[in-house]
Amino acid sequence: MNDISEPARDTDQAAARRPEDFEAIIEARTRELTEALEQKTALLHEVDHRVKNNLQLISSLLLLQNRRVTDPALKASLRGMLGRVNAIATVHRRLFQSEDVERFDVSAFIRDMVADLMGSASRDDIRIELDLERVEIPAAKAAPFALVVNELLTNALRHGFPEGRGGRIFVGVRRENGDFRIEIADDGVGFDKDTTPPGFGLTIVQLLCQQLKAKSETTDAEPGARVVVLLPVNGAR
Amino acid sequence: MTGRALDVLIVEDEMLLAIELEHLIEEVGCHSLGCAMSSDEAVDLAEKLHPDLALVDVHLSDGPTGVEVARKISSDCGGVALFMTANVKRLPDDYAGACGVIGKPYSEHGVRTALSYLAYCLQEGHAPGPVPVGLTLAPAYAQLWGLGNLPRIA
Repeated sequence: MNDISEPARDTDQAAARRPEDFEAIIEARTRELTEALEQKTALLHEVDHRVKNNLQLISSLLLLQNRRVTDPALKASLRGMLGRVNAIATVHRRLFQSEDVERFDVSAFIRDMVADLMGSASRDDIRIELDLERVEIPAAKAAPFALVVNELLTNALRHGFPEGRGGRIFVGVRRENGDFRIEIADDGVGFDKDTTPPGFGLTIVQLLCQQLKAKSETTDAEPGARVVVLLPVNGAR
Repeated sequence: MTGRALDVLIVEDEMLLAIELEHLIEEVGCHSLGCAMSSDEAVDLAEKLHPDLALVDVHLSDGPTGVEVARKISSDCGGVALFMTANVKRLPDDYAGACGVIGKPYSEHGVRTALSYLAYCLQEGHAPGPVPVGLTLAPAYAQLWGLGNLPRIA
């Protein structure tokens, strides 16, 4: 594929002396550029399609493996990974849906994630409350952000509410002083103040918050736990 | 699920996805008729086996032929097609006669609930409730199953 952005100088200069040829040159050039743009757009769609299919492949592999495994700890591990892949898959399902490929709609994403997580958990005794402002983040931040939300939600579900103990999970997203404030709170059993070293999930959250230059704070919600993540709007901190 | 188990045909050229779908189909109480990887194979199997439901990817081993497959299955084979594709926006407005689409990448939970929902709709002739997340119904089917006029959501 030729790189069409190189100007064709010699022919232009030679023929530009005759005004009627000038127009023909512009027309031909415009046609070339339009075709090139169409080719690149088609390629972009193809890549997007491949990414979505490949994410599906990864999910399927994990699901198939999980079916064969009987050890509960191993199954739990695989499910955890599946949840993370799903979070990334949810990002890609929504990325490029709007006309603006640079921005990612956080509230729409959270609704998808919540529906999926709550649906698979099938806990009728856990209620979820959403208070989501329409917030957009750069597409590059979408996957790390999605992984953070996935870990925090999964944590609330799994650790806050052991079998038999129901309650409520709140997810709130709003702008606050040049930051995006994401809050995930539950009224469950709360966390152990005598902290053991953070599990893999919380380590992921810490690392990704570093990457996103976001601050995260966990407090006792009495009862339950509250995590607030402050994500800078313009990437600076 | 009431009544006889639904016969479902899988039209998908990625083997791993197809096998996983077979598991999900059986888990919701339907019956898998097998998998077709090309449009010819799909139409052939549909004509022979008369699936109630066909899960159809748009991109098959012989190219983007899934839309035509869906059209043939609904018009000639008496079955209902459901698209499972990453290219939701490229589907024709009439969904080529299919009842709807599940966008890729889909979640296990999403497919399970969609299959149960559609099994109910196909057997009872109306929807049990609002459309589950992850499934988009074709306007014609939304109407048919008593859900009124739905805007098309990607």
